[in-house]
Amino acid sequence: MTIRSNKLYDDSGVSRRQALKIGARGIALGLVGRGISALPPLFGATSEAVAATPGKILVVFEWFGGYDGLSTFVPYGDDALYRQRPNIGVREADVIKVDDHFGFQKSMLGMHRLWDEGNVAVIHGAGYDQPSFSHFTSSSYWHTGAPNSGEEYGWYGRTADALDPHGTPNYLVNISATQTLAVRAREHVPVVFDDPSSFTRAVFHPERSLIDNLDRGQIARNDTHQFMLDVNRSARDASALVSQAWESYNGSRNPDLRLLDLDKVVALIENDFPARLYYVRLQGSLFDTHVNQESPHNRQVQYCSDAVWGFFEEMKRIGKQDQVAIFVHSEFGRRVPENTSLGTDHGTANVAFVLGGGVKGGQYSTPVSLTDLVLGDNLQHTVDFRNVYATLIEEFLGHKKSEAILGDKFKTLGMFA
Amino acid sequence: MATLNSRLAAVVIISVALARIGPDVAASNEDWSPGPTSWTGDLQPITEAEWNYDRAAHLLERAGFSGTPKEIQKLADMTPEQAVRSLVYYDDIDNDHLSPFEHSGLWDETLLNFPPSRPAATDMALKQGKGMGVRLKPDHVNRYAQPASDRFFYWLRATRLETRRVGYWWAERMLDTYRPLEEKMALFWHGHFATAESKVRDYRKMIKQIETFERHATGNFGNLAIAIAQDPAMLYYLDAGVNVKGAANENFAREVMELFTMGVGNYSEKDVREAARAFTGWNFKNLDFVVDSALHDDEPKDFLGQTGNFDGRDVLNIILEQPVTAEYIATKIFRFFVRDDVSPQLASELGTLLLDNGYELRPLLATMFLSRDFYSVATYGAHIKGPVEHVITLLKHLGAEDVPGIPDFNAMTVALGQHLLNPPSVAGWAQGQSWITPALIQERGNVAFDFLFPNVTQFQEPTLLYGSAGEAGQRLRRGYDILSATALDDPGIVSMFDLAARERDELFNTRISSFRGYELAMRKLIPTLRRAAQIDLTQMILDSGSVTTSEAVDYLLGRFVRVPVSVNTRDVLVTLLDEELGTTDINRAATFMEEPLRMVTHLIMSTPEYQLN
Repeated sequence: MTIRSNKLYDDSGVSRRQALKIGARGIALGLVGRGISALPPLFGATSEAVAATPGKILVVFEWFGGYDGLSTFVPYGDDALYRQRPNIGVREADVIKVDDHFGFQKSMLGMHRLWDEGNVAVIHGAGYDQPSFSHFTSSSYWHTGAPNSGEEYGWYGRTADALDPHGTPNYLVNISATQTLAVRAREHVPVVFDDPSSFTRAVFHPERSLIDNLDRGQIARNDTHQFMLDVNRSARDASALVSQAWESYNGSRNPDLRLLDLDKVVALIENDFPARLYYVRLQGSLFDTHVNQESPHNRQVQYCSDAVWGFFEEMKRIGKQDQVAIFVHSEFGRRVPENTSLGTDHGTANVAFVLGGGVKGGQYSTPVSLTDLVLGDNLQHTVDFRNVYATLIEEFLGHKKSEAILGDKFKTLGMFA
Repeated sequence: MATLNSRLAAVVIISVALARIGPDVAASNEDWSPGPTSWTGDLQPITEAEWNYDRAAHLLERAGFSGTPKEIQKLADMTPEQAVRSLVYYDDIDNDHLSPFEHSGLWDETLLNFPPSRPAATDMALKQGKGMGVRLKPDHVNRYAQPASDRFFYWLRATRLETRRVGYWWAERMLDTYRPLEEKMALFWHGHFATAESKVRDYRKMIKQIETFERHATGNFGNLAIAIAQDPAMLYYLDAGVNVKGAANENFAREVMELFTMGVGNYSEKDVREAARAFTGWNFKNLDFVVDSALHDDEPKDFLGQTGNFDGRDVLNIILEQPVTAEYIATKIFRFFVRDDVSPQLASELGTLLLDNGYELRPLLATMFLSRDFYSVATYGAHIKGPVEHVITLLKHLGAEDVPGIPDFNAMTVALGQHLLNPPSVAGWAQGQSWITPALIQERGNVAFDFLFPNVTQFQEPTLLYGSAGEAGQRLRRGYDILSATALDDPGIVSMFDLAARERDELFNTRISSFRGYELAMRKLIPTLRRAAQIDLTQMILDSGSVTTSEAVDYLLGRFVRVPVSVNTRDVLVTLLDEELGTTDINRAATFMEEPLRMVTHLIMSTPEYQLN
């Protein structure tokens, strides 16, 4: 991989970031049939949004599939764990202890290293009332931040819209093959990709100047067509930047350290990509462990743990470890008792993690009870997950009116200094 | 300042208004004929007077994978009812020219009851001294369990490699079939009753499932639902085998109700558990459905308000009795073929149509394709083709007679976000707008490029083995011992995963197995013919009677794109063709116009409009 300069300059020597700032307004003024609502404050400035704390970047790292929190941040000090799980309960000997009650499953060396540095906040018992046991439904509740309700846009998309009402291009990035509901926004077209190299055009020289402008003069025939035109425009804005960032990133630094898809985030941050919000959804998750849980679960948490540690090593290298935070969660945890296939079924509340970004490491919220169970044999949640969202929005991103995004005021957890 | 703002406002308002009016600033496809807005939601049939070539083209693109102008004209020459009937009621149409799948001979009976994981495989083999048809070496030998580990990886790799060929075989059927709706519905059912070979691990079960989808494609949904509930791929995928009396596993029952029939909110958690009990003992032996009565819970169950000694069939019949099932299925079919936005009233009408016909699908399909709604402005040109649909349609547009080997079909569709026979989850693919993101819209242009300008000189066979397994294999061939062959390049960086691997070396080495298993599968695998698509755009243009570059571009636009492109785009394409040919005279340029025509086609297929139909 060739190593190019970190900066992205065009021929005139104007940095791309500056050009983008001019371009953003220019694009918003462009008459591509988007309608009045997308135009900038010429028609009445929307200044209710407080600007985000400059420089902060949030990465949501969704460990989709329902990871088993009781085998991740293990309550080894609670006998009830072993009564409920005589076969698959993680043994004390297989735990890296953090205190005399809890510890990380021993494969999670990376996560534990971050914990020792004071860079891991563990939030116990994150969930919501009337939990759903369906992957898709519960995911959609976490993604929209609207449990047991319908909501068109994602919580992360709404956050982007609140922080940046102009819909600046490239503000919101989703590393995934297809768009995650969480990033669905009114004003932003999220940059969605899982393979940065697919962001380059295969094209012959005579076509070059034409291929990105095939929408010029076009008017939308229907809503789907309008959608296509919007996405086409966003592709034009993002592709060159993403490709160049990826090409100049030296991923061979840590060949065996699987960063999963976090390496794409590193590449973009390192190259001053303008995004403030990243959403990475774990691909090919092994976490839905209904059968023979031990091996796939341990392998997956090990990969994920290595990935976040490697990510922060990279952040340290570029001096951004306090500016960038990772938020880890899943759509639910798993049922307390083991099932007859040495696995576990879908559950309710789960631990979530916030890593880096100047977080005050430690444990938050109240640990769940393994004996006072609900809905048969499930954990009672001790904090609504939207409190975690509110904490990230207000304490980390610096946007004080989280209730406008979440629909209600949720108490923040005091995770940041 | 205020004046500037208000002038700007005026311009914006006017252009937004123009956007709503219609095609006066548009270009290609003057026959573009969406029906009026009043037609939206109206299931009444269109009349013969309302039928034309453009609407026939719309029909063939949606109910099939498009076709040649001749095929479209044939439909246009019929009445709309005859045209729809010819696509929906296809039983009398012979499809014998399609070949059965040619097996590479990778499977044998010793692979029955294949263990679910590598640890399960090696544990079993260590206990019994053999497994999966191989014996272990005498136990005084180092890595004496290697034969079992190798055998496990052999089948893992073999079924995955063969499944790619199954994907090719199915794509070929989609392209060559005389019954396009049959294949399109089979594709729809595959996304609905979703299983993935990556978990099923048996390409033979995937073939059987495709055949089931084709057999019941436009038949009776009830029969299809029962056939799939008893299908080996589905039974394995949803852990039916561990669903036994006294220990019901909810996975199968839940997905049957949540995803395959009723949708969430139409049953309780108790219904899921009771249904799970009804399905206990349902399993498969090789490729056949079996019920293990010893493991079946035949006590009474309470399900959806009824009580009885229900088994799986009974549960499915009760589910089918619920009107919500008919509505769920009919609406999903409508969304796939017509448009995404369905009002509650329309959903109810569609459900009633399906229910009143006893779940026979053809009356629903025929009504849909003949309806005013299907030709209304809300539907016309408002469908985003999924990747497989898109690629097959693209090949049909280009007049390709076979699915080419270069580029690789699976590589193209995976790049666009759809891995045939490997949906991301039991919920299938999200469909609609989720197929499109900024990167994916660009990728569609790249895929068109790869078909038009196949990289025949640098094509890399996807079966080439990279990574640590490939590296290990190369080192073995150069005479390295096993530990050196599997060692990492930079000993300074060790992952826990590899540390653990070294600890297991005394019994077997999985990195070696990963290579050896792959190698053995590749020795047998029938290779995919790596030939480019045999396309001839020159002949297409000459046959069209176009004599100028303008006429040629207009012809290509008319043939490929449903939604009209802008005047600007059309002019830009004509200019490009003029420049590349050095003349506007088609006959003058006939002997050297193939590459320039392909460039124009590539640009056409990169427009936002081309992605819609």
